[in-house]
Amino acid sequence: MIEFFRLANVFLRIGAMNEMAYRANFWIQTFESLLSMATALATIAIVFNQTDSLGGWQRAELISLLGVYFLVLGTINLVVSPSLGRFMEEVVDGRLDFTLTKPADAQLLVSISEFRIWKILDVILGLIVLSMGLLTKAEATSFASALVFGITLLAAGAIVYSFWIILATLAFWFIRIENITMIFWSMYTAGRWPVTIYPPWLKWILTLLVPVAFAVTVPAQALSGRLTFNTLMSAVLLAVALVFISRWFWKLGVKSYSGASA
Amino acid sequence: MLRYYLNLYPAFLRIAVLAQIQYRASGVIWMIGSIIEPVIFLVVWSRVARARGGEVGGYAENEFAAYYIVLMLVNHVTFTWIMHVFQSRIQFGQLSFQLMRPVHPIHEDLSDNVAYKIVQLTVMLPAVIILILIFQPKFNFEMWSLLLAVPAIILALAVRFTLEWTLALVAFWTTRVNAINQSYFAIIMFFSGRVAPMALLPVTIQSIASALPFYYMIAFPVELLLGKLTPAQALTNIVIQLGWLAFALMLLVSLWKVAVKQYSAVGN
Amino acid sequence: MVAAVLADGLHKTYQVPVRGAGIQAALKSLVHRETEAVQAVKNVNLEIAEGEVVGFLGPNGAGKTTTIKMLTGLLHPTTGIAQVFGYQPAKREHQFLMQITLVMGQRNQLLWDIPVIDSFDRNRVIYKVSKTDYEKTLDELVALLDLDSLLHKPVRNLSLGERMKCEIAVALLHRPRMLFLDEPTIGLDVTMQRKLREFITQYNQQTGATVLLTSHYMADVQALCKRVIVIHHGSILFDGYLDHLVQRFTAHKTISIKLSDPLVDLSGYGELITRSEEQAAFRIPNREAANFTSRLLRDLDIVDLTVEDPPIEEIIESVFNQSA
Repeated sequence: MIEFFRLANVFLRIGAMNEMAYRANFWIQTFESLLSMATALATIAIVFNQTDSLGGWQRAELISLLGVYFLVLGTINLVVSPSLGRFMEEVVDGRLDFTLTKPADAQLLVSISEFRIWKILDVILGLIVLSMGLLTKAEATSFASALVFGITLLAAGAIVYSFWIILATLAFWFIRIENITMIFWSMYTAGRWPVTIYPPWLKWILTLLVPVAFAVTVPAQALSGRLTFNTLMSAVLLAVALVFISRWFWKLGVKSYSGASA
Repeated sequence: MLRYYLNLYPAFLRIAVLAQIQYRASGVIWMIGSIIEPVIFLVVWSRVARARGGEVGGYAENEFAAYYIVLMLVNHVTFTWIMHVFQSRIQFGQLSFQLMRPVHPIHEDLSDNVAYKIVQLTVMLPAVIILILIFQPKFNFEMWSLLLAVPAIILALAVRFTLEWTLALVAFWTTRVNAINQSYFAIIMFFSGRVAPMALLPVTIQSIASALPFYYMIAFPVELLLGKLTPAQALTNIVIQLGWLAFALMLLVSLWKVAVKQYSAVGN
Repeated sequence: MVAAVLADGLHKTYQVPVRGAGIQAALKSLVHRETEAVQAVKNVNLEIAEGEVVGFLGPNGAGKTTTIKMLTGLLHPTTGIAQVFGYQPAKREHQFLMQITLVMGQRNQLLWDIPVIDSFDRNRVIYKVSKTDYEKTLDELVALLDLDSLLHKPVRNLSLGERMKCEIAVALLHRPRMLFLDEPTIGLDVTMQRKLREFITQYNQQTGATVLLTSHYMADVQALCKRVIVIHHGSILFDGYLDHLVQRFTAHKTISIKLSDPLVDLSGYGELITRSEEQAAFRIPNREAANFTSRLLRDLDIVDLTVEDPPIEEIIESVFNQSA
């Protein structure tokens, strides 16, 4: 754990310095984050111009859901996606050998190898919109809901991270894997709406094949008091299971990689 | 001159199809994005229609299915990716080679675009069939609208391709094209009928949209195919499309001149 | 007769951003950006006659590529005149583009994922080469460059050398009268470099095309170019025969001898570079070389004697050092 914070601290500093070197990145990212948030909010406004509720969700609740969507999106783009994207490149061009010969846990190293510091703006914006949704809602959010929200959000983080690790590990066997992450991003946009509104086949895809349901909808359900005990338990269990499965899969990948290049 | 292009395009198309067949797999992955977006809005608006007693803004539940399935097809035919690639083309020097050739690079881009669409129809059409089976859309095709839809869709592609190719030229002045592209995509989302059919947008947005080219690049052919327009409206819109095409072409020619001048002033 | 290439007082100035190091400078540049003018090419004058093969030499950043880009129309000169066959390259006229070609060793114009022959076909159509001319040229190129087995492979499956051969072939399908070759042999192995050199010579002799070539490899220049132009810090330092370059910029000759008696004392004759038993080499100023040689022959029992100029790389380096 100490190891983790030590490494994360160093990598974060280097990442920040790197980003600072590009003069306009900060402004561009501010602009892009605001723009995509505004687009999403406008879309909700247009839909709620015609109706008062969508699949049982009020406008304020959907705004909170959007906040969660951006919170998770920002977190993925802050470190998970750039780091694992870089890892996939390193597998192809052989730079991974440098990482594997370092005296630290390889999964940890590749998971935090790159920080896009300004993506933090998406996280901040997500939090703001999330609170906006909560404040405009008719009934106040209970402490219990907030606590459950925290748990589901942690589970969401673990599930999304493990999912990415599994995707990235595939790169050990298949060269052209970067495209696979495109599938994730395409499917993730479905998370702007609660997955419960989708027809069953799509709901299952968004729950099992791509964990959009657990990443966004479930935490938002927790906030709006919709979460059943069963869903909460499955989120927690799935999170724990995926962490172990992805770890096991990663080790399998490393083993196969070392075997192949030896 | 015409003969030159009559030789050029078949050769370019053949090569582009060959190349696109190579990229088929990654092409399929790109297609997922262009299928999922209309499906999401299809579901959202069907839900709204159901909540409002089966109809909203003149669209019944199964008409939304028809709208978004046709929109998916029209969007497939008209979309371009040129704005994503122009910057790297400049950065990695590919443009230098294109400028050294005695032919405008746009012809090769158009060939690539058409080739991609043809090759990916093998994915798009099965997707359309599956979505039709799932969502049971209600189509009211009529002979005249089907016939007019052909020039309408071709013109939609022509307008969108020319306009987006012209916009891609901003890469000559800035390396930060992503922010510009993103703004463009946000605008086209709302004003081209992708977020919602025009009839469901607030009146102010509708009137702004009618003064912009985006409606004519996507939503117009869709509405035409769904029988939402009268023959007179359809013909008027085709004339407007021609106007936008002329405008976009003029813009393209003049901006290209300036852009090349800029390129050769700063180099890379 | 119109010169193939003419440059008169070419200048090129770039505006480049400047930024200090450290976080503070990084933050400052968020709001304000400073630029400075960099003169990449300063008053370049040159004239190349049709049919000449000219080597264009200079260290990285000397202005070679900038000059070539001005001559191909990819860059506008800040001031001055560039002309190729009487055309102003920056206008990019159709007739001009049809007559020139550009090969860049590090960049490729072949389509990556499709067979080479299809990229060839693309250029055939672009340059309006008739079927018969195309087939004739293609046959020649295939024979000269040994492309037979490569034509039907996708470019991504070719080695660097094979790819370069195809790059050159595709650039020549329209039989250009003017070839701009920017580092065409970079990264190739020695055999492949030699093959390409032979090919360029042959092409020049057969077609009378003009060639302007940049290269880091002096062997390229020695083999191909009678005339060289040396550019450094944006200005031309030398323009003339390669032989003259050697004479002008080398003050020394290397004189090697073989002695019959390994124990002879050689001190006091001149600057001794190497000495092993019966072999020895001296570095002697040009004007003393004759006297020195006769003195050696008079004093010592010499089996063999050679007088050489230093390697061309060394000469070029000394040119750059003198001007630095």
